[in-house]
Amino acid sequence: MDPRKIIICRCEEVTLADVLEAIEKGYTDLESLKRYLRIGMGPCQGTHCIPIVLRILRRATGKNPEELMLPTSRPPLHPVQAKYFMGGDKD
Amino acid sequence: MRYDVVVIGAGINGVYTTLELLDRGIKKIAIIEENYPGSGGTFRCATGIRASFTSREHVVLMKRSIEKWKELSKRFSFPFIQGGYVWLLSREEHLRNFKEYVRFHHSLGVPTRIVEPDKIKELVPTIKTDGLVAGVHDPIAGKSNPFTALLNVLEYLKKSGVEVRYPEKAEKIIVENREAKSVLTEKERIDAETILVAAGYGSRGILSTCGVDAPINNLPKHAMITEKYREVFKPLLVDWETASYMVQTVSGGFLIGAELEEEYNKPPMNRIEFLYTAVRIWSKYFDWFPSTHIIRYWTGYYVMTPDHHPILGPVKDVEGLYVSTGFSGHGFMIAPAASEAIAEWIVRGKPGIREAENLTIDRFKEGKLIHEIAVFG
Ligand SMILES: Cc1cc2nc3c(=O)[nH]c(=O)nc-3n(C[C@H](O)[C@H](O)[C@H](O)COP(=O)(O)OP(=O)(O)OC[C@H]3O[C@@H](n4cnc5c(N)ncnc54)[C@H](O)[C@@H]3O)c2cc1C
Ligand code: FES
Repeated sequence: MDPRKIIICRCEEVTLADVLEAIEKGYTDLESLKRYLRIGMGPCQGTHCIPIVLRILRRATGKNPEELMLPTSRPPLHPVQAKYFMGGDKD
Repeated sequence: MRYDVVVIGAGINGVYTTLELLDRGIKKIAIIEENYPGSGGTFRCATGIRASFTSREHVVLMKRSIEKWKELSKRFSFPFIQGGYVWLLSREEHLRNFKEYVRFHHSLGVPTRIVEPDKIKELVPTIKTDGLVAGVHDPIAGKSNPFTALLNVLEYLKKSGVEVRYPEKAEKIIVENREAKSVLTEKERIDAETILVAAGYGSRGILSTCGVDAPINNLPKHAMITEKYREVFKPLLVDWETASYMVQTVSGGFLIGAELEEEYNKPPMNRIEFLYTAVRIWSKYFDWFPSTHIIRYWTGYYVMTPDHHPILGPVKDVEGLYVSTGFSGHGFMIAPAASEAIAEWIVRGKPGIREAENLTIDRFKEGKLIHEIAVFG
């Protein structure tokens, strides 16, 4: 199948072709790949795409997982509407 | 291998200074980064860029920076959007102060102006201006994308033969006979003609290994971003009463920073009250804000100096040692001009922009702190 048609990151609409091209350019750790392609920066924070990219990167580079620099998940882990932080007791 | 220049820190300043050195014909350069490029302040920042400051040094350097942001963004295909800044003022006394700042800006050619609430509504569609006495508009200010602004240039550096080493921590600067000789990393000793410390929050630590005391302290800061939305407004907004800012990033998310009381040099921690503070401040201005989705909250440091101005240039007592740090919350916007000044210093012995000479580390020993007409955003 055409790598330009395979979506790796649904939230940020990044394709397999984008990922392979970035790896080719030298983005061979996840932290840098994330900023370059915005992969993992969408509302799911990479829950769906980072494991897939991790596999692609491992295959392409032969590096082990800690060398690939797994990004930090930031709170909130799921998107929360701002209105839940408006009121009440938490001053 | 002996390098012409070894740069410690792959933040926007280390990376842009390397570019300026390459452009001046210096080729053998290594950058040492303890984590990954951009991981310090650079990838955490709001990318606000403005020249409306209250010291001559800041204004002159930032004006030069804006010129360079235009060039660099074209050359390296990343966004620089001159959408302006708008300060939102809710008190008469603040308006009085701002009138003075605006006069100062005009004296140095920065075209800020006081605007009525109706004009604010024009600049910032959907905003509610109840309770505001006025606004201040800086039309030449702007924003960028921190990721492509750094990574696109870094890619070019690597292609041009710069060695970018990460993750590798610089642990010691070796000085012999008052001359900087090498950087000792966790992996090896790297010799260099010139060493540049552009290590952000780590600068004080690495400088202390060769007996140089840089009076910088790291202040924890908080920021959050919502999901992406279509463009609502272009300017970066500052609620002057609370010193909180909001910007719709070039990617579309609303990024907010707000003040919490913090202690210097404490590891930044997530504090839920930050989200309450941020949401309350900006829900007053925008009816739609409560229904946006917050997707990330992160922290980072402002690397502060006693006079809130950077430390730039050579260290008098150590031949071949240069510093570019202590940006006090403005290190992204100033990076193009600061980097140009440092490269000029290294190559020609002078920074090009005269005002930069007032910013060397020796000013603290000599008691020549930078004077501001007011302490400001
Ligand atoms: C929430 C927030 C919002 C901000 N908003 C703005 C804004 O709107 N506009 C603006 O201009 N600025 C803003 N800033 C400030 C800006 O982010 C910084 O001033 C700027 O990024 C500094 O760049 P730098 O290259 O000097 O340092 P950094 O980007 O911090 O880079 C320094 C690098 O050195 C590395 N390092 C440290 N010690 C060592 C060592 N011993 N060995 C090897 N490597 C080392 C670090 O890992 C880091 O990558 C903001 C900051 C924060 C936290
Ligand atoms: S699928 Fe990539 S961030 Fe959600």
